[in-house]
Amino acid sequence: MNRRGIAFRLGALAMAVGMLTAAARAQEGLPLAPEVEKQLAAKANDVTEVTLGKNMLEFAAKFMKGSDADEAQAKKLIQGLKGIYVREYTFDKEGDYSMEQLQQLRAYFETAEWSPVVRERERKSGETTDVLMKVVNGETQGMFILSAEPKELTIVLILGPIRPEDLGELRGIGGLGSLGSLGGVQHTPKGKKGGTE
Amino acid sequence: MEEFERELRQALERRPAPPGLKRRLMAQRDANVARGGWRAWLGKAGYGRGWATATAALLLLAMAGGGVRWELDRRQEERNGEAAREQVLTALRITGHALNQVQTRLAEHDRQAREGER
Repeated sequence: MNRRGIAFRLGALAMAVGMLTAAARAQEGLPLAPEVEKQLAAKANDVTEVTLGKNMLEFAAKFMKGSDADEAQAKKLIQGLKGIYVREYTFDKEGDYSMEQLQQLRAYFETAEWSPVVRERERKSGETTDVLMKVVNGETQGMFILSAEPKELTIVLILGPIRPEDLGELRGIGGLGSLGSLGGVQHTPKGKKGGTE
Repeated sequence: MEEFERELRQALERRPAPPGLKRRLMAQRDANVARGGWRAWLGKAGYGRGWATATAALLLLAMAGGGVRWELDRRQEERNGEAAREQVLTALRITGHALNQVQTRLAEHDRQAREGER
């Protein structure tokens, strides 16, 4: 076989592997990391990344202690989920990320099936908050949170059937109880200048 | 002397084996092997007691190795499971933290709105 033939076959193999990897990630129901995430991670001082697909969540559920009330609740919560995707970036100084980058992240969820629950922009402090829910046939099938502070950016994406009241019972883990009450909040933008949109 | 030679010749004279002798001998050997179990079988196959001991030792070693491997795999899976569990809890903590921030901002916004109304 000549060199061109070998190169062609290697190229085809690499493409096949790439496609299979992409297909595997798509099957997990988690988004592919957009370019903006890489840019944010490169600028951030501290990065926390958690990506858990359905299989990993099922595996983790086996090791959650049923004796602990919070863990038992967490186990119940994650059992039906398709994936949890969390990014937390802490920056040294303000302005390390741009509004355009945030907009690129939001754009990913600007589809008919994602409904904004909370959308807040504080012009003075530069803080922004977005909470979107994916509703399919009247059931919540996902939640996206984008919380931006001048030096901190948090992205949370939970895919799968999620009930706010289940999260509300998780009092012990990082104040998850707050979601229980958030479930009913429909904070619609009022068009207030300099405040909430 | 001639008598002796004649007797000797008769004794050394080549005679055909009785019919079925070979079959009977083979059947007897197979019966011995069947009675003798694996040792006789090994003997028949050309392996002596040393081979049998070595094989048994290897089998025991393989079983012990398999057991150790199983235990190591189990411990590794447990470590992976604990790591996955920690990741889930970390993800939920970050989610909770983000939601708390949302709550705080909404509460602050509502407070400001109420003050503005007054």
